Amino acid sequence: MSPLHLSFYSAFVLSGLGLAFHRTHLISALLCLESIMLSMFVGLTIWPIENQTPSFTIVPIIILTFSACEASTGLAIMVASTRTHGSDHLHNLNLLRC
Amino acid sequence: MTYFVFFLGACFVIGILGVASNPSPYYGVVGLVLASVAGCGWLLSLGVSFVALVLFMVYLGGMLVVFVYSVALAAEPFPEAWGDWRVAGYAGALAAVVLVGLVLGGVVGSWGFGVVTVDSVGMFVVRLDFSGVAMLYSRGVGMFLVAGWGLLLTLFVVLELVRGLSRGAIRAV
Repeated sequence: MSPLHLSFYSAFVLSGLGLAFHRTHLISALLCLESIMLSMFVGLTIWPIENQTPSFTIVPIIILTFSACEASTGLAIMVASTRTHGSDHLHNLNLLRC
Repeated sequence: MTYFVFFLGACFVIGILGVASNPSPYYGVVGLVLASVAGCGWLLSLGVSFVALVLFMVYLGGMLVVFVYSVALAAEPFPEAWGDWRVAGYAGALAAVVLVGLVLGGVVGSWGFGVVTVDSVGMFVVRLDFSGVAMLYSRGVGMFLVAGWGLLLTLFVVLELVRGLSRGAIRAV
């Protein structure tokens, strides 16, 4: 694997692990989602460069658009959680706990 | 030049490691800003300047600014930075997991060096990314309209989520 491919691949894995091993804040998990999206954007932009196909450049732009939608929805959930529970700590989201 | 791009790739990974080790959100955003600056510099070095500037303006200047002032809701009296032993332990464990995976996967032994860049070759006067994204508005107009519709829909989704006073989607009781 070339070192640059390794770079965004390990960034993706690290962000996924950071999302899985979340600690206290909901917004830290949302930041890990954003870094997953950033590593995917860089990887998808390198693909048309290496294959010299201009039309594939559309895909990172589209994924950036939908990631903006996802980030705003996540932040709205965080605001609603803070308004309800007083903080965005993840142990407050316990309605599904047995 | 090649080593400069590798250095930017390494800064990218270090910034993401700073986010994934889950410090207090004030410091996590710093790591994400470092990672996006390194990623933008990486894409600029490869030649796709349009996509790099889109990343800078939309991602860093739009989405991360919204994140930064939403971090104010996560206020706590003693925020943990990377010097704290809990955060440093997480960062070390994550880096160790990735390194063990690299060594066991046989990646470290077989490195293929090289950087591919973009060039205006022959008859083209427009670069790769400019002509590619311009196709979004001509050939990809259907996807363009779907993405615009999705953004408009998200506006109403956010409006309904944060509507308070017993009409919101997330309530305690």
